[in-house]
Amino acid sequence: MTVGFLGLSHLGLVSAAAAAAKGYDVVGFDESAAHVERLRRGELTVVEPGLAELIAAAGARLRLTSDPGDLETCELLYVSVDVPTDEHDASDPAPVERLLLVAAEQAPAGACVVVLSQVEPGFTRAQRGRVERDGRVLCYQVETLVFGRAVERALEPERFIVGVADSVIPERLRAHLEAFGCPILAMGYESAELCKIAINAFLVSSISTTNTLAELSEAIGADWAEITPALRLDRRIGEHAYLGAGLGFGGSNLSRDLATIERLARATGVDAGVVAAWRAHSVHRRAWPLRVLHERLLGRTARPRVAIWGLAYKEDTQSTRNSPGLALATTLAAAGTEVAAYDPEAEPVTIVSPSFRRVDDPFEACADADALVLATPWRSFRDSEPAAIADALEGRLVVDPYGLLDAGRMAAVGLEHARLGVPLPKVSGC
Amino acid sequence: MLTHAQEAAPPSRTVVLGSRGFVGSTLLAHLSQLDWPAEGISSQALDLTADGAAESLAAQLRANDSLVFVSGLTPDRGKDAATFERNIRMVRAVAEALALQPVAHVVNIGTDAVYSDDANPVRESSCASPSSLHGAMHLAREVILTDVCRSAGIALVLLRPSLLYGPGDTHNGYGPNRFARNGPAEGKIGLFGEGEEQRDHVFIEDVARLISAVLERGSTGVVNVATGTAASFREAAELVAELSPAEIAVEGTPRANPVTHRHFDIAATREAFPGFGWTPLRDGLERTLAADAGSAARA
Repeated sequence: MTVGFLGLSHLGLVSAAAAAAKGYDVVGFDESAAHVERLRRGELTVVEPGLAELIAAAGARLRLTSDPGDLETCELLYVSVDVPTDEHDASDPAPVERLLLVAAEQAPAGACVVVLSQVEPGFTRAQRGRVERDGRVLCYQVETLVFGRAVERALEPERFIVGVADSVIPERLRAHLEAFGCPILAMGYESAELCKIAINAFLVSSISTTNTLAELSEAIGADWAEITPALRLDRRIGEHAYLGAGLGFGGSNLSRDLATIERLARATGVDAGVVAAWRAHSVHRRAWPLRVLHERLLGRTARPRVAIWGLAYKEDTQSTRNSPGLALATTLAAAGTEVAAYDPEAEPVTIVSPSFRRVDDPFEACADADALVLATPWRSFRDSEPAAIADALEGRLVVDPYGLLDAGRMAAVGLEHARLGVPLPKVSGC
Repeated sequence: MLTHAQEAAPPSRTVVLGSRGFVGSTLLAHLSQLDWPAEGISSQALDLTADGAAESLAAQLRANDSLVFVSGLTPDRGKDAATFERNIRMVRAVAEALALQPVAHVVNIGTDAVYSDDANPVRESSCASPSSLHGAMHLAREVILTDVCRSAGIALVLLRPSLLYGPGDTHNGYGPNRFARNGPAEGKIGLFGEGEEQRDHVFIEDVARLISAVLERGSTGVVNVATGTAASFREAAELVAELSPAEIAVEGTPRANPVTHRHFDIAATREAFPGFGWTPLRDGLERTLAADAGSAARA
């Protein structure tokens, strides 16, 4: 069976490469011929560990094309374009609708067309009339792509969640999914579409609860890192729960799903006040580095200089959407604080200020700086030598929200090491 | 919650309505130090509750002025409906004056009493649901000013201060000011209960600096005036006792009301003015005690 993937952004590319890795012949289609050409040359537009290797290993099993006619042999077609969102986190389903039309026109009779893109509840059912003719059927499948871990999750998914019209998964789709060896759950369209949102809502709930209690730990002298192992051993919470203190939630996917919950709740009269609380708390925690800088540096130094390591919203991605590092750099530079930022992979950012500069070396950012902020938990930052940081910095303050650096070694070289989940270190000399 | 309209530039002239009060007089002194043009209008010079007040005020305003509105009868002058009504008459006069003679920028000094009593931590986005006539009056003032400024195309910023203390306080309400004023004279400071309530005490000169910062940037929006660090009344009292040369006993009393706390999340202020530094309570009380001692010596 040949499987087609329509839309080769992050989701489609990873999914297509994973299907090829399972031995399927795969046609990867994208409307942009230029994008396909870049992919053929091995130029990826997303940062995703292992993806380049996965595509290379697929070899001839993964055929990339911008010609819709190449989809004619596909008996199973996924519409897999990432749905863009606007500044209010509202989705634009137009690219999905366009590609569904391409699928409907090109798929052979009896083919199964699957919406894998991030759509709102009600979308799939509304599209049936455009796709389901000549024996074609339309399904929805929950995508659970995680930036930075997308390859691992695509090859070894925890489960598949499929939305269908009549509780029966079409045979072609079932055969494809069974190759991955994980549970397959069938449910109605709306249930599956809401299930996708529910997963993200529970993640946000965990993030918000974790960050609230981590802040309480800071306030009362507890250490959140000491508490989390106990929680992981509680079966109702679990070993994989989101218990690491962080700076709220970034990126666009979680925000988009919360916006969808709020919109649906408004339309149906459901009380979704808890979502507003999650949002507010995320914004509150994102400002934590600024709070530490304000308490320890800003307003006390005539011309403060701050080094920022990390502009991506999290590690292993180039996305800077809702990024704490970018937000901090923007705020500080606008106020005239000298900011030098380094990130190994983040997409280009626009901060129009003479006070901001992006550098290519982390220690160049630190040169003469009064403080260093590690705003993204890149693995490479964990390997940095505290002594080298101490040598490069003019000041002693290192704001390390994720605790990437060892507290004992930081103290040994005389650095003030501020971490989430524990009280701030005492000011030198007090 | 604040948007800056311009790069830092002093306003061409600042008019302070309520210039003899605690905030107004401190602000005028600060503007004078900055050498910014400023005019004060006190209630003695212009009674905003009187007939014709709007026309009189309009005649004193210019199109490129910045107006700081801090006039008002504070709760120590009355907490009843009559006081509420007089305060609303004042803002009505100001609104009518602004309609007659729009200015460039209005800075309204309100209160954190506009927020619900159980808001914690208080942010600018917290629910404004006042439980007192004083808070309701300030919320009504904000709505009235927002309406007139929108109609007249005037930039408006709403400041909502927490508890203020420092030299020159005219109120002597329960808190650091009364502790600093009465403690050395009486040799003791009496607390409500054990003074457990946590509050965000703001040094008056910081308020003046923040007002000058919003004036300088032509800021619009809403911002709380708080330090982000709360202290209990007992801590404030014990600091006064420690810093004063006099022997002062800090004494609790049987508690009459439940303990309530109020903390602020000042992220919006930090983002708007990252370089703004707040005076620690200890330093502020030290300066308050020194000023009070100086006043006593002069008297």
